[in-house]
Parts: sequence; C-alpha cells; structure tokens
Amino acid sequence: MAVKFFGQFLIEQSVVTSDALLNAIDLQDKNNLKLGEMAVSMGLITASDIQRAHNAQMSKDMKLGDLLVEMGFLTLDQLNDVITRQKNTHLYIGEALVQVGALTSDNLQKQLDAFKADQAGYVSDGIELPIASANNKIWEMTADLTYKMVTRVLNLRFRPGKCTLATSISHNFMLAAMDFAGDAEARYLLSVSEGLQKSIAKAILNEESVDGEPVEILEDTVMEFINVVCGNVAAKASQMGIIMNINPPVTVHSPLGGMPIPDGHKALSFPIHIEDGDTMELILLIKE
Amino acid sequence: MKRVLVVDDSLSVARQLEKIIAESGDFTCVGHAKNGAEAIKMNHTENPEIICMDMNMPGMDGLTALRTLSVMDKEVKVVMVTSLGGVGDKFTEALKLGAKNVISKPFEADNVLRILREL
Repeated sequence: MAVKFFGQFLIEQSVVTSDALLNAIDLQDKNNLKLGEMAVSMGLITASDIQRAHNAQMSKDMKLGDLLVEMGFLTLDQLNDVITRQKNTHLYIGEALVQVGALTSDNLQKQLDAFKADQAGYVSDGIELPIASANNKIWEMTADLTYKMVTRVLNLRFRPGKCTLATSISHNFMLAAMDFAGDAEARYLLSVSEGLQKSIAKAILNEESVDGEPVEILEDTVMEFINVVCGNVAAKASQMGIIMNINPPVTVHSPLGGMPIPDGHKALSFPIHIEDGDTMELILLIKE
Repeated sequence: MKRVLVVDDSLSVARQLEKIIAESGDFTCVGHAKNGAEAIKMNHTENPEIICMDMNMPGMDGLTALRTLSVMDKEVKVVMVTSLGGVGDKFTEALKLGAKNVISKPFEADNVLRILREL
C-alpha cells in the first residue's frame, strides 16, 4: 500500500532474496553506463573530457550531456547517439534478476503484472494548476497522492476543490509541515481542524476513540500522515527522475490572523472538502 | 517469543508497531527508541533479536544507526520501516548496509508480521 520500485515489491512478496536483488543491482551497475562512460566506451570522448565537463558543472547548472555539447566535446548528433545507445542497452532490474538466476522469464512477466496491479492506484489522474512551473508535474502528483492517501490511509470520503494561488496561509487548529529539498524545493503544509485532527488520529492509531489521547500523540498522527504522503511523493518523484529529499515533519503554529507567503515563494492551495462538511487544506509553498 | 526493538521518532508509528507486535503472539516489544543513537544504546541494554527502524529521524538517522549496528552486532536483524522505502537508492543503500528488508509506510499488520516471521 505504498509507492515502491519493482525490486522492493519482489522482496516484500518473498519472490527474491535481498542477496539476489543486490547481485542483480551490481549487474545493473556494471551494465548500465552513465552518459559520460557510454560516450567514452563509444570512443567519442576521453575520461579527461568528462572531468573537465564535471568541473564546469560546478559553476553551470546544466546537464552533463548539454555541457559536453556546449564545450565542443560532442556534437548534438553524437549526444543523441549516446543517449539512444544508453536506452537500447539498459538492463532493467527484472531482466537482471533473470540473468542472475533469481527469476525465470515466465515468472518475471507474472510478477510485473502483479506489480502493475499493486501500483495502479498511484498513477496520477492529472490536476490543473494555476501557475506555469518547471515542476508542475511534481506538484500535480503531490496533490494527487495526498488525495489518494486521504482515501486509503484516513478512510475519508472527500471532494477535491479547485487549486488556487493563495495570498496568505489561513489560521487553523493545526498546521503540519515538511520540507522538500533537492531538484524540486517546496514546503508541504497540511492544515486541519480539531475534528479532522481526531479523524486522522483514529485512522493512524486504528482506534475507535481518541478522546483520552494527549495532545502530542494527536499532533504526531497528523505529522505521521504527511510523513507518509511526502515519503511516497519522494518515491514517485524518483521514478520520474527527480531527486527530492525530505526532513522530519514539524508542527507550525499560525497566528489567528494567518501567515503571509514568504518572499520568493508561490503558494498553491488545494482545498479538500470532507464528506461531513469539514475542510482540510493542502498548501504547497513553492520556492521560485 | 522473539524480542523486537522499535525505533521511530513518531510516537504514533511506535504505538502502531508495538500493538502489532503485542497482538502477534510470537513477538514481544522490548522497547522504543526515538532515534538512531538511542537504538544503539538500547540494542546493548535490551538485546533484541529484531529491530524495526525508521530511516528519517532527527539526530542520528536510521541508515547511520544501521551502519553502526551492522559492525557492532552481527546477530541482530534490522528491518527498515519507512515512508522513503520506495526511493530506489535509499532502499538499495539499506540492503547494502545489512537491512534484511524494507517495509514501506503506510504498512499493514499482516505484511509487517509476514516479513518479521520470515527473518
């Protein structure tokens, strides 16, 4: 019930051992050459050319391939040839497991089908955002995964409201926050009422009533919920080639008048209208 | 009864895991550490056979603790329980450091117990 990669799914299902998976990953590492390594193996550039391009990357925010072209080490056609060769020779983990003898080809197909079914619930349906940002796909996926986790983890029925650009962060009973760092930077905030905090606590603790629970446990359940969402966002992002690191969740205490949007950020608000009439709000503070 | 140490900064996750372990009939929870450093201390004092450990914790994180535990104690079996389990390189790093498995959050009791029983 989470975003996984295929090797992890196979271990969790006891289809392969962790040793077998590590052998297959070693085989992948030997076979799947990085762009620079592939270009060297094709005789197009030398290791010192790569080193010079890596040094240049320290001061230029460019992909290695683009930089190799800009520095004149590769032509655009040669770069495309290298990328094509990388794609054509890429060894996927399933194939690697077959090669190390941990899976048969027949079983691989069966397991791929099972994996696809397991992960089907995490395929994004698409959400419209009011901004144009290079990472819109990531923010759409973040909202989409939040909705899915509200259903699957919290067992709450809801209707997503229209995403809007917020000018401030409204006060609410509790705000839980987690920061994304890396290729896409943002603060993930979930704003909940007292009633929704209890609903989340009941679902996370799997209890009928949480009336006697201390405040720190109730707050912790909301933080744990966003921790689960953000961890799964990071996993889904890594499948999309985007590295996102997360820090442990925190509670933010907002003043009664709400909070301004920090300079250099845009705030996307995603209202989540719960069946009982209450509303929680996902806010993404996106660093510009 | 196999002795299990739970390591997680989240009180609610620790509660969930302790409940699953207590109701299993074949495992007993010997304690709850809130970060990697506490886990290393409690591994010494409580002598668990299995450690269920979060990856992302304030202070010493789970992977750092796993690295230390894999050198200090070759017997204890560590399973990472984390929302970052689906991040391929984190998962691989945990296995390379000696974790026996990685359970992704949100988890289900049946899945947790199946994995613990297979250790």
